[in-house]
Amino acid sequence: MSAALPYTKRTLENGLDVIVHEEHACPVVAINLWYHVGSKNERPGRTGYAHLFEHLMFEGSAHHDRGYFRPLEEAGGALNGSTSSDRTNYWATVPPEAVERALWLESDRMGYLLPALTAAKLDTQRDVVLNERRQNYENRPYGLAMMALAAAHFPASHPYHWPTIGMPADLRAVRLGDMREFFATYYHPGNASLAIAGDIATDRALALAARYFGEIPSGPPPPPVVVPADGAVPPPPSLYLEDRVELARVYLTWRTAALFEEGDAELDLLAEVLAGGLSSRLRRALVRDRRLATDVSAWQDSRELAGLFVISATVAPAAGPSDVEAVVTDELARLTEDGPSPDELTRVVRCMERAVAGSLERVGGFGGRSDQLNRYNVLAGSPGYLAADLARYRRADRRGVRAAAARLTAERRVALSVVPPGSRAAALAGAQPAGVS
Amino acid sequence: MISADRTTLPDAGEPRRYEFPPVAAETLPNGVHLWTIGRPRAELVTVLLLLRHGSAADPPQRAGLAALTGDLLDEGSRERSGVELHEAVQRIGGACATTVTSDATVVSLTVLARFARQAIAHVVEVVARPRFDPDDVDRVRGLRLNRLAQMRTVAGAVADRAFLSAVYGSHPYAHPPIGTAPSLEAAGADDVAAFHARHFGCAGWTMIVVGSNPTRLRALAADELAALAGRDAGEPAPAAPAAPADPAPSPRRLVLVPRPGAVQSEIRLGHLGAARTSPDYPALLVLNMVLGGQFVSRINLNLREEKGYTYGARTVLDLRRGRGPFLLRAAVETSATADALREAAAEIAAIGGDRPVTAEELAGARAALTRGFALRFETAGQLGAAAMRLALFGLPADDYTTFVPRIAAVDADAVHAAASRHLHPERLLAVVVGAPERMPPSLGDAGFGQPVEQ
Repeated sequence: MSAALPYTKRTLENGLDVIVHEEHACPVVAINLWYHVGSKNERPGRTGYAHLFEHLMFEGSAHHDRGYFRPLEEAGGALNGSTSSDRTNYWATVPPEAVERALWLESDRMGYLLPALTAAKLDTQRDVVLNERRQNYENRPYGLAMMALAAAHFPASHPYHWPTIGMPADLRAVRLGDMREFFATYYHPGNASLAIAGDIATDRALALAARYFGEIPSGPPPPPVVVPADGAVPPPPSLYLEDRVELARVYLTWRTAALFEEGDAELDLLAEVLAGGLSSRLRRALVRDRRLATDVSAWQDSRELAGLFVISATVAPAAGPSDVEAVVTDELARLTEDGPSPDELTRVVRCMERAVAGSLERVGGFGGRSDQLNRYNVLAGSPGYLAADLARYRRADRRGVRAAAARLTAERRVALSVVPPGSRAAALAGAQPAGVS
Repeated sequence: MISADRTTLPDAGEPRRYEFPPVAAETLPNGVHLWTIGRPRAELVTVLLLLRHGSAADPPQRAGLAALTGDLLDEGSRERSGVELHEAVQRIGGACATTVTSDATVVSLTVLARFARQAIAHVVEVVARPRFDPDDVDRVRGLRLNRLAQMRTVAGAVADRAFLSAVYGSHPYAHPPIGTAPSLEAAGADDVAAFHARHFGCAGWTMIVVGSNPTRLRALAADELAALAGRDAGEPAPAAPAAPADPAPSPRRLVLVPRPGAVQSEIRLGHLGAARTSPDYPALLVLNMVLGGQFVSRINLNLREEKGYTYGARTVLDLRRGRGPFLLRAAVETSATADALREAAAEIAAIGGDRPVTAEELAGARAALTRGFALRFETAGQLGAAAMRLALFGLPADDYTTFVPRIAAVDADAVHAAASRHLHPERLLAVVVGAPERMPPSLGDAGFGQPVEQ
């Protein structure tokens, strides 16, 4: 693929970064706004704020004190938002005629949200979020596993200790004043990045961005995120969690490089060599040849402050978790010894290129061009980081992946077994109960 | 600096005409239908192969056979083992998937554009010449049985299965494509080979290729497909199966599937819906948008934005070759189960009764469907899937091009007529998967009679 994502970037006087990418293949314009705030900016006892706030952002602002979906759905647009530990994003993909409407709305909730924020809105969205938590985590098989692992790897005061969706008790305790303070701290032009991509002339996009966002005053720089030193007590090496599941699943996890740090790309490739596709090492060994697992996946979850490398496998009914663990350990040892073959490396890099090209086919939505430009701008410091990002993978060689495997296996590992109710015996030996709510 | 006028929301503009890109369609001498479509500046090429049969074609006592067969296509061909096939696809950066729905089996492969020839050849190889080694059949069937077991703990999947089964009885749409444990256990390599022999003859294929250079893609595909002859071509063209006949209607009822301890209830509410070829298609889309098909629909605004019962509620018109289901899907807080059912049923009754769509709702729904229509055709994969639906349902070539004017012509009378014909509040089936011990005793008063436990 060409790895070209041309753009023009201007920073308004109030500190808002504006990035424009012109592409006329389809009559679509994407508006994408990142606020550099996520659950990592919260505190223990006050978790879930960034995500709850994302909900409130759709409930109306001073000059449009009604839902945000209707005016954009009626304009033929699609819209959504998401929150992670590192950032919150909002996007709308609209026909070119509706660009001004989308920018008007997006800027109104940046500049004029608080006058329209009420306790009634907060109460309803708190209930919606509690239901989102039930639907996506509590009532979903294995839904609490990653929460339990984050809590085990990161000490209680670490910004990655708590889940982005928040702790239920914290959500129930939120008051309107907390939300106002949170907004004033993080939701202003100096902490945001706006990307406009698609069927629009660059000059017009820049002018419209200045017209709608230029009047919004900047706020003070948000307080820095404090990462505590790791506690004196290391995480327990093996945990288990009872859940309403039919088959046990084993998670083997390690603390790893943060996003874009040295070794991060190699860990992505290692994950693909291990479990990307049916010809990957663990899929072949565990699922195809020995039939010890019904599925297996691996991924490097790299974020701003730290990464987690995860291998998870669902244990086949006739097998035990230690059989699965042994095969994973063997494969990691082999990769630590020899690295991937040249053919394996070619394969996983090509698949990665196709996946990137696939996500950049669209101008909008999660992972589309506008979202990627903002991601690079906010997290890598430049919207033009795509070529450098891809180069990390193209440059990676067998030795680098081997070294990543070696560093990984030298780290402290935390295992989690998720087992059916009352089936503690289905967990890895010596597992202690995991703390999760 | 020019500031924004915040007194009024900027206009959203007029709906624009959308023209689906030209489809170069031809039928090769061996019967294969080949369609190619251009997508300017695409870095990827998407290859789709449509077979007009899916899980509705499962033989009696073999529910799940179509999906098992689809899953096994790339587990080994006459020339190469499954592992060799998967490695080859990765070498061209590909992601190959077989999707089996009630009416169709679709093999799709998306690759970096420079590997188009290999991608076309790969799809032909796995569809025309699968190996179906008994050992692979046994292994893949075992994995599907395990997935079935896991789905028993996924509340939404349990609710969907119970809903389909109660609406369709013994109809071919009654089971989800994965089938049932007893029928899968009974399926062997012979069944798979026989199913393939009967349904996969190349005269029944429609291959759709989308990329930046359609002339070249057409030549590549025609070359590869023309070579299919003799044994590789398979049986003579199987007729596309007739759309299944409708099951009998039944009165309101409530099926309860206990899930002790669950913090939410998965609810389904609906009945038999319409076929994709219904003449009411445009009016049905508008009706569904107002009722439950988008965020600002009546049901979502009621259950989520007013009551906070749920993270979201949507109605689905699952339009198939035969009449598919119409249903509401939502996961609601357990204590709100009966209220949510009552509210949703009241909304379904009201839109065809005492609260017909308002002029404002009508305008909003038409606008949402038409103004953003072009957004659905941005990628090669989206264009390919859209063309696939034309082929599957036998729709006119200009179906997408005439979409905007057809929707724009839908008026309140048409929506009302569609609601009267297609919504039947007196026949609603409710399914609840949840914790009976946490539900208030009022579940029996929700208007569906006493729950029948399943």
